Formats: sequence, C-alpha cells, structure tokens
Amino acid sequence: MISLQGVSAKAGDFRLVDITIDVPQGEYGVVIGPAGSGKTTLLETIAGVIRTTAGRIIVAGADVTAAAPEHRRLGIVYQHAYLFPHLTVRENIEYGASTAKSAADITAQFELGPLANRSIHSLSGGERQLVAIARALARQPDVLLLDEPFSALDPRTRDRARRMLRSIHNQRRFTVLQVTHDFVEAGTLGNVAIVMDAGRVLQQGDPSNVFTKPASAYIADFVGAENVFAGTVRASASEHDTTEHDIAEHDTSERNPNGRDSTERAGGADGQNRAAEFSTGALRFYVVGEVTFGAAHAVIRAEEVALSATRSTRAESSVQNQFAGKIVEILNSGPLARVAVNASGTIIVAMVTARSVRDLELRAGSDVVVGFKATAVHIC
Amino acid sequence: MNRSPTVELGGARRAMLTVVVALVSSLFLLFILAPVVGLVASGGGRGIASLGSDSELRSALLLTATTATVATVLGILGATPLAYLMARRAFPGRAVVAALMDLPLVIPHPVAGIALLLVLGRGSSLGGALYAAGIRVAGSPVGIIAAMLFVSAPLYLSAARETFARVDPRYEAVARTLGDNAWRAFRRVTLPLSLRGLTAAAVVMWARAVSEFGAIVILTYNPKVASVLSYDRFTSYGLSEALPAAAVLVVLALIPLAALRALRTGDALSR
Repeated sequence: MISLQGVSAKAGDFRLVDITIDVPQGEYGVVIGPAGSGKTTLLETIAGVIRTTAGRIIVAGADVTAAAPEHRRLGIVYQHAYLFPHLTVRENIEYGASTAKSAADITAQFELGPLANRSIHSLSGGERQLVAIARALARQPDVLLLDEPFSALDPRTRDRARRMLRSIHNQRRFTVLQVTHDFVEAGTLGNVAIVMDAGRVLQQGDPSNVFTKPASAYIADFVGAENVFAGTVRASASEHDTTEHDIAEHDTSERNPNGRDSTERAGGADGQNRAAEFSTGALRFYVVGEVTFGAAHAVIRAEEVALSATRSTRAESSVQNQFAGKIVEILNSGPLARVAVNASGTIIVAMVTARSVRDLELRAGSDVVVGFKATAVHIC
Repeated sequence: MNRSPTVELGGARRAMLTVVVALVSSLFLLFILAPVVGLVASGGGRGIASLGSDSELRSALLLTATTATVATVLGILGATPLAYLMARRAFPGRAVVAALMDLPLVIPHPVAGIALLLVLGRGSSLGGALYAAGIRVAGSPVGIIAAMLFVSAPLYLSAARETFARVDPRYEAVARTLGDNAWRAFRRVTLPLSLRGLTAAAVVMWARAVSEFGAIVILTYNPKVASVLSYDRFTSYGLSEALPAAAVLVVLALIPLAALRALRTGDALSR
C-alpha cells in the first residue's frame, strides 16, 4: 500500500502541498492532472528521490519518510525508460534483481528472452518500456511507480504492454501508482484515481466516481465532461415535482429561506437524496442528490443526454429535464456523434449514436428536445 | 522563366559572401597552422633524430610527460567530486566557486607562478612546513606539478562538470530505487556514462599541462621541462638550437590532440 499523510515537498520552484492519498495494498492507483500539476514530483517524492518538507510516507506498512530510495522497496519507471545504455537488456534486468531467478522469470514473463543480449540502442520504444518495467519488477518491489510509461507507444504496443502489466499485477498483487494523461487508461487500469493540479490533490476515489461525480467544475472540465454549467442550487418546491414547468411555478413560493449563499445541504440528515433545483441562464434543472444550496456547478456527461423529436409526457418517459432547442452543430466520430443544442441560450451537448442522428434526421438547425434524468445531474 | 532582379542580386550577394567567408577562414587557419607546420618541418626531423643523442632533451620530455601525468591524476582526484557536486547540487555560493575555479584561466601564467611561489615557496608558512617535512616545492618536480595543476585543472573541472550535467540525474534515481546507494549509483551508472567525457577532459588537462611554461619557469626553472628547455636554448643559443626541442614538444602535444579527436569521433558515432 501507499499512504501519504500531509506530505509537502519542494523540487526547484515547484511545491507539492499537503498531499494525503491512500492506495490500498495490491490496488492500482492512477494519477491524472494537467501538465505541470506535480504528478511526476509526487512519484519522485514517494520514491525518495525528492525529499519531503512535511508529512509522512508509508509504503507497504513501513514509514519510509526518511528512508533512502534504495530502502523503500519500490520501483520507478519513467516515460523515457532510462535504461542504462552501457548495459545489455539482460544486464539491465539483472541490475537490481533480488535473485537471478527473479530476473529470469520476469524476462520470460515479458517475453524478452530473444532480446536479452541486445544493446538497448537497438530496441524499439515498446521494447524499451517493457525492459524498464521488467527491470523494476525483477527486484520484486512492494510498490511500482509508473510515470506515463505507455504514452509514447503506438496503440498496438501500448495495448500489449498494458495487458502484460495487468497480468503480472493480477498474479503478484503489488501496489501500483501510475501517472497518465489517458482517461481510458485511468478508467480501465485503475481502482483508485487521484486528480492533481498545482501541486495539490483535488479529488481521489473510485475512477468512475471521479469521472461521473467530479468534485469541482475544474475537475469536470479536465476529465472531459462536456456540460458544465455555473448556476445556483435552490430547494425544490416539492419532491413530487416532475417537470421544469412545475419547478418554475414553485420557484418563488417555496424558495430556500437562506437564499443563494446558503450552504445548507439539500440531503437529509439521514443521508438520503433530496430534490433540488439548479438554475443556469434561462434553464432550470430538476436535480436529485446530496447537494449544497447556493452558487454551484452542474455537470452532465454528454453520454447521459438524450435527444428526441418531441417532448414526452410524464406518462411516456421518466426523464425529468426536457428542453426544446435547436441543433447548432453535429460532429461525427465513428459510430457516435457529438450534437450541440442551443436550449434557451444554453448550449447542451449530447453524445448519441450516428444511427440516432440518421433515424431522427438530425442536422444543424433542426428543432429537438434535449432530455436528461434528474439523477444524471451532478452538482459540485 | 524570368527571374526577378532581386533574386539575381540575392544570389550574387550570397556567392560573394561565401567567397569572403572562405577567404577569411582560410587566412585564419593558415595563421594557426603555418607556425606549427613550419616548426615541425624545420626541426621535427632533427628533434626526433636528436632524441637518441640529446639526453637533456630526453630527460626534459620524460619529466614533462611524467609531471603532466601526475598533475592530471591529482586534478582528476581533486576536481571530479567538485565537478559532480557543481553539476548536481544547488548550494549557496556555487556561482562564486565556479568563478573562482575559472580564475587560473584568466590570470597571466607568470603571475600564477608568482602567486604559487608566494604560497608554496620556502619563505611561506605552507612552503616552509612542506620543506621541513622534506618536500621541496620550488625548484623541484613538485613545483612543476603544482604549476601544471594550477593552470590546467580548471579546464578539467569545467569539462567534467558539463559532462556530469549531461547525464540525466534520473538514471541515478532509477539506480537508487534498484538498490544502489549514492556511491554505487555513481560508480555503476553515472561514471560509465560520463567516462568518455571525463577522459576527454583529462586529455585536455594533460595537453595543457604539457604546454605550460609561464608558471613553471617562475616556480621551477631547473630541472627543465621541455617548454623551459626550448626557451633556455633559444635564449642561450638562438633559434636553430631551440628548434628540435620545440618541434618534439609540438609532436608530444599532437598525441593528446589525436586522442581527443578519436574520442569525439567515437562519441559522435555512438550517438
């Protein structure tokens, strides 16, 4: 496991500030964040290459805050592999191997036997990365730190490398912390996602939660949420309200007495979800969840937005939020299409199938109804 | 197709510029090469032939090579850790240390000799202490080594520092996570990756030490190194007598130059 408790560190002019993260034993953590957010610095701080200025680092149950890198029982693999150029592939893998057998086993497992006597200058990018990972694993570390190891590889090689790593991780169950820019990689490989920016951790948790329930508009934007709206959350008129028209009718009569700056949670004391209303521009969304009253952002993933030719009645659909609008743009992307709709001055993006675009005869300028469920709206 | 007059003029101007650059470069190369080639052509044959009979020249050459080698070894031992430190660590006063280490390169070498004499001469406290311990600096090979070290070590330090700086510290970081302590990571990774650059730096230092005259002549006139012998023969017997020693010294200096070229060619091929 990897546990950082209030860790701060300094690398040149850059600072990591009060980092607290947990990746349980045997889990696969992914660190995502924009360039320069401190992801590599975080890995190097865990590795002991950069010293901490505050906090504690626990690796595999041991406090290694003051330990030298060679005593932390972890391996690090950088994007550029950093294979030792004066050594052969075999010598690289054997460099820090715990035993000769461990080096031989990992060489076989990564199918690197035929390359063993080659100079590293003759290897392809993918081969280099596999050798670098094999070299780190030959030491049988408790923790493997990966700094975008697959980002420079072609898609086929990347898939192969990921498969091999996943397979050996499943066998040995060491803890992994991987930096990546690739959200697909983060979603498919990781059990724990950590979002960083400007040397701080903004959010951590289950990757699907980070993608569907980002903690802030910034994270939502960073993880690729198409619909992020600034607005205000108010108490809903009634949990029995079902359309935006009804909500609008109750808006003035049952407004939250604390007003727009209130921070009262809309969720009940028992932790159950409650209905609320989110206003952005001329639109009002019906929202269900544990939300905070006042200024907030609503995030709706484009995949959660549906398009139809006509507005459904309550008897026909459970979709609570429906808005008439006009299509402003359709971008085709293989079997999917990204459709931008102007609904009362607010652009809402829907990701629908190309087949739906064809069947509904959607084109720029078409009138459509945009719909999404109240539970598809995440307030942050 | 008609070309515009501007293009024609541009082409002519470019051609003229090429001719001027070639002419200036040739004159510059000639200025450097002519004296060296003239010297070797005039005295090289005689110098090499006289090696068999001229024991003073033989001794001077041997002394030059030996003291330059000792100075280079001392320079490597003393300057390598400092070069590494300056390449890897940001510490207070690093810029000042770098400037101080360049000082011997900019002060006139006879002045360097005088400064060394002040510190290492028998009249100084350090020189006196060394003399009391049986180590005579001025007027001995020790003085020659000291003078050579003083004027040529900064060249090694500067080149070694650049060499270490070119080795990405992440190689060491990886080696550390693979179980090496700092010294082992340096020895097993950084040193092999820097070896070619450090060797080139040592060759430059050795060549500079071999060619030193100004500081040595102040500190130790006798026994004579090759450069002092050339000067001595020139002032005592004239140009003709100085030629063989001077030409052989040039040949001696050409050896490290050739080695340096070979190292750099190898470096380019390995990239």
